[in-house]
Amino acid sequence: MKILLVEDDATTVDYVVKGFIEQGHNIETASDGHQGLLLATSMKYDLILLDRMLPQLDGLKLLAALRATGSQTPVLILSALSHVDERVKGLRAGGDDYMTKPFAFSELLVRAEKLMQRGLSQPIDTGLTVGNLMMELLTRKVTLDGHELMLQPKEFQLLKYLMEHPNQVISRTLLFEAVWDYHFDPRTNVIDVHIAKLRRKFEELGFGELIETVRGAGYRLRQGN
Amino acid sequence: MSLSKRSEVLVIVSVKGIKPYQSSAWYITIIFSSLVTLIIGTLLLGMYRQLMNEQELQTDKHLASEKVRYQKMALTLDKQSFARQVRTADPKTALIVWRRSLDLVGALSIIPDDMPMLPQTREFPILTAGPDKLHMLTGGLVNTRYGPVLIATRTDQLATLIDRFMNAAITALMLTIVITLALGYLFSKAILRRLIQYNRLSRLIEKGEYSTRLPVSWRQDEFDMLAGKFNQVLDTLENNLLAVRGATDNIAHDLRTPLSHLRIGLEQLPEKSAQELPEACAILTEKLDHCLATFDAMLSLTRIEEGQQTLELQDVNLKFLCEDLYEMAEAMAESNEQTLSLTTADDMQMTGDKYLLFQALFNLIDNAIKYADVGAKIEIVQRGREIQIRDNGPGIPDEEKGRVFDRLVRLDPSRHNQGTGLGLSLVKAIFARHNAKVVLMDNTPGLIVSVTFRD
Repeated sequence: MKILLVEDDATTVDYVVKGFIEQGHNIETASDGHQGLLLATSMKYDLILLDRMLPQLDGLKLLAALRATGSQTPVLILSALSHVDERVKGLRAGGDDYMTKPFAFSELLVRAEKLMQRGLSQPIDTGLTVGNLMMELLTRKVTLDGHELMLQPKEFQLLKYLMEHPNQVISRTLLFEAVWDYHFDPRTNVIDVHIAKLRRKFEELGFGELIETVRGAGYRLRQGN
Repeated sequence: MSLSKRSEVLVIVSVKGIKPYQSSAWYITIIFSSLVTLIIGTLLLGMYRQLMNEQELQTDKHLASEKVRYQKMALTLDKQSFARQVRTADPKTALIVWRRSLDLVGALSIIPDDMPMLPQTREFPILTAGPDKLHMLTGGLVNTRYGPVLIATRTDQLATLIDRFMNAAITALMLTIVITLALGYLFSKAILRRLIQYNRLSRLIEKGEYSTRLPVSWRQDEFDMLAGKFNQVLDTLENNLLAVRGATDNIAHDLRTPLSHLRIGLEQLPEKSAQELPEACAILTEKLDHCLATFDAMLSLTRIEEGQQTLELQDVNLKFLCEDLYEMAEAMAESNEQTLSLTTADDMQMTGDKYLLFQALFNLIDNAIKYADVGAKIEIVQRGREIQIRDNGPGIPDEEKGRVFDRLVRLDPSRHNQGTGLGLSLVKAIFARHNAKVVLMDNTPGLIVSVTFRD
C-alpha cells in the first residue's frame, strides 16, 4: 500500500516511516503544506496521513483543497489538538479519521489499515475465523473449539473487532470507539471489565490465554494454535 | 493561563493630586451656573425692555389724550377760563404750562428750550421743594389757539420702580451664582473624597491585598452601585486566584508523583534484563499516558469552562442516554460486585451536546462505582428532565459537598485513587454549559446526584 505522510516534525516522521516500512508499506513524506498538496494531487496514494499544523499551508486547508479536486483518498488527520471540537472540525473538513498526538504506532497502524481496506472491493465476510475461534456475522453465533459461546451484544462487538485484527495490539481507545458511539477517553476500566467478562467465558473452555493484555498498550487476540 | 486572559489590566487614573476645581463635577457646576445666569439675564433684559416700552407707550398715550383735551379746551373756552383750567389742572394727571405772552401760567415755572411738538417727547429735569428734589418729566409742546402749551408728566416714579426691580433681580442672580458655585465646589470635593478613597483601596489591591473591599454606604447611590459591582468582581477574582493557587499545588502534586516514578523507572532501565525490558517500558508508558491524560483533561476543562469549545447541539433523548449509560456501566458495577439498576420514566427530548452529556453522566456513575463499597446498590433514575445517580456508599459530608466540584480536589487526601481529579470539574462545566442544575443530596446512607435540565 502506498501512503503519503505530510508532517513537519522530524521525530514523528522517523517514527511513523520506520513503522510502516516494517509493516511492508510504501511511504513517502512531505514536510510542508505546499509540497504535501502537490504530491497528494499529482500521485495516487491509498492513504494520506496529514498533520494539522503545517508550515505554509494549514492541514485543514490542504484537505479542503484536495477534496475540491474530487480526490476520494482516505485522509487520517494527526494533531496535537485533542479537543472534541477540533476532531469534529477535522472530520467535517473531509478527514476520515482523527488521531491525537502523542499516539502509539500500533493504534495508527490499525486505523490506517482500516482506512486503506475501505477502498478495496472485498468480498463481504459472512464469518471470521481466528484459530479455533469462529464467528458467524449473520447469525451472530460464536464458537470456540466447537463450543458455542453466549455473548452480550457489547462482548460480541469487542470480539469482532479483535478478530478483525488478530495478533495486533488494539488500544483501549480503539475498542471503546468500536463498541460505543461516544468519543472520549473514559480514563476508567470500562473496556477492561468487558474484556474480563469475555475472557472468563473463554477460560471456562480452557482458552483464557486467547486474549492477551499488553501493558501500556491494550489487548491482543492470539491466533491460537 | 486563563486568569491573566480574563483579568483586564486595571487602569486607575490617579485622583490623589486632583484639586476640587479640576474635577468633572466642578466643570458641570460651572457650565450649569453659566447657563442659569445666561437664561435669567436674558429674561431680565427682555423684561426690562418690555417694561420700558410699556412705560413709554403709556406716557405717549396719556400725553396724546391731554393734547387733544387742551386743544379742544382752547377752542371752546375763553382765555380767562383756559388760564383757570391750566392753573387748576391736577398735577397727578399732567403738568401743564401755558406761555401767556411773557409769563408762564401753570404748574411749572420754566419751559425748557427746544421742546419738541407732540407726539414727539423729551425728558427734562425739574427742581421741586419736596424731599426728592430732582424729578424727571417727559413732555412736549402743543399749539393751541392761545399759543404753545407744554404738557408733561412725571415718569421718574415708574423708572425708579423698574430700576429697583432690576437691582433686586441682579442681586438675586448674583446670589444664585455664588451659592451654585459654592455648592458645586463642596459637591465635587465630596465626590473626589470618595474617589480618592477608592483609588487608595485600589492601590492596596494592586499591591496584592486581595481581601480589600470598597465601602458601600446605606444610600445606594451610583458610587455605592459601582463599589458593590467592583467588590463582586474582586470576590470572583479572589476566588479564582485561590482556586488557581490550590490547583497549582494539586497539579504539582498530581504530576510530580508519576513523573518522579517515571524518572526512577528510566534510571533503572539499563539494569533490566532483556526479558524484563518490555514490561518495564510498558509500565513507564502507562505512567506517561496518565500525565498526558491529566494535561488533556485540564485543557478541555478550560475550553469548556470558558466557552471556547462549541457545543455540537443535537436532539438528545434522555431516556436513550440513560440506557446507553446503563449498558456501558453495568459490567463495571458487576466486576465490583455492585448492582446497577436503571429506571426510566418517559421519552424526554432536549437539545444538547450528546457526547459531552454522556461523558459527564458517565463520570458521575464511574465515581459512584469507584467510591461505593462491594455490594452497593447504584441506581440511574430518569424522570422527565431530571436524572439522578444514587448510591448507598459512603456519601459526602455536607461540608465537603461544595468542594467536590472544584478542580483537582479529591476527598481522599492521599490521592491514592487513580484519576485526574478533574472529572467532577468537567461534569460541573459541562452541565453549566447546558444550563442544568446539579444538586448533591444525602441518600442516607449514600449520595444522590441530581441533574435537572431546564426547559
